[in-house]
Amino acid sequence: MLEAISEFGNVAQSSTGGTLTDPSAAAALAVGLAALGAGYAERGIGSAAVGAMAEDESLFVNGLILTVLPETIVILALVVVFIV
Amino acid sequence: MSAAGSSNPEYVVARVRARRGSLYGDEEYRKLVRMSPPEIARFMEESTYEAEINALGSRHGGVDLIEYALNANLADQFEAILDWSEGRVYDLVVRYLRKFDAWNVKTVIRGIYTDADTEDVEVDLIRAGSFDDRRIQRLLEADSIEAVVEILEDTIYGEPLEAAYADFQEADVLVPLENAVDRAFYDHLLGSLGGDEPTRQYERFLKAEVDFRNARNALRLARSGADLDPADYFIEGGELFDRATLSRLAANLDELVTYIADSTYGDDLGDALRELEEADSLIAFEHATDAALLTYGDRLGTIHPVSVTPIISYILAKEREVENIRAIARGKEAGLGSDEIESELVIQ
Repeated sequence: MLEAISEFGNVAQSSTGGTLTDPSAAAALAVGLAALGAGYAERGIGSAAVGAMAEDESLFVNGLILTVLPETIVILALVVVFIV
Repeated sequence: MSAAGSSNPEYVVARVRARRGSLYGDEEYRKLVRMSPPEIARFMEESTYEAEINALGSRHGGVDLIEYALNANLADQFEAILDWSEGRVYDLVVRYLRKFDAWNVKTVIRGIYTDADTEDVEVDLIRAGSFDDRRIQRLLEADSIEAVVEILEDTIYGEPLEAAYADFQEADVLVPLENAVDRAFYDHLLGSLGGDEPTRQYERFLKAEVDFRNARNALRLARSGADLDPADYFIEGGELFDRATLSRLAANLDELVTYIADSTYGDDLGDALRELEEADSLIAFEHATDAALLTYGDRLGTIHPVSVTPIISYILAKEREVENIRAIARGKEAGLGSDEIESELVIQ
């Protein structure tokens, strides 16, 4: 996960010709990073949710909702795409 | 499953917290205290112990059934925790659960020493440690202590046991072997922990446990009037006592309690220690230290919700529940009154 981020940074830096000065490229990067963050958050929540469900099946709905909550970050990041 | 890979505290903590909810509370204990052993067994059958009571119901009865069902359930639950845990979490949890390995090894050795039936030994084992069924089976089938030492060769008990075996052959008493097992357990309990903040807290908790164990052992020795030096039974690793202070304090309960209250535990364990100060008997002292440890574990579990500490806190609470139910069942069998039994229970 963390290695992926630094790799991401490397790619962003090494792309010469000012790719990141292009607004839509920067927006795409923002969405991508937000998705990465959401994925990391969901990893923890998801495994806890599955653990709770294994003990008590009635927790399925709660677990599902809590697991996808970090997705809102990605949706908010998507707003940026429409603004630029 | 194993110590390899990344750790998954979230998953284990979620499961353990759910199970914690189904532990017996005040209400259940109050009911249990008023029941006879068969009623207790029935009550257990209707709660989390259903599978064990049903499985053992045909072979055992009365208080024995309760006792074996408790052991089986304890083993089951702890084995499950080890199954779920991976990586660092497994390493930390197994350190604590190895005490059941130590218990099993000692039980097997004692069984062989006294020529007990394999079946009798088997029911006394608590299969909650890190040994798998195959190793336990081999231990049960071992017909001499030498064979036991050989089976444990590749475990942490291998070397210490081998070293102690010579002493055993010389003197023909079990003390060196049992000491070797205990020492191996405590050496690995605190060895090379390191790591992040929750782990350091966990280490402090383990040290507290060692400290209280030391205090308890010293008191027991002092009370028993036996001419034994508490320093010989001292367990390394705690931070409160060293050999000399322990021997000095063991003679006087008040001084010992004041010493603990003035120590670093005083701040954390205020209420429990006040109870400890009021404790006049050895049993009350032991119960107070148990309750203090439980409170300590719970506190840690709340401070670091996603770490090993809530898991340990559950393990402690479960052990306590098993001991409480056992105390109720045994107390009923011995014909104790409700009040007396209640005084035997450690309820937070």
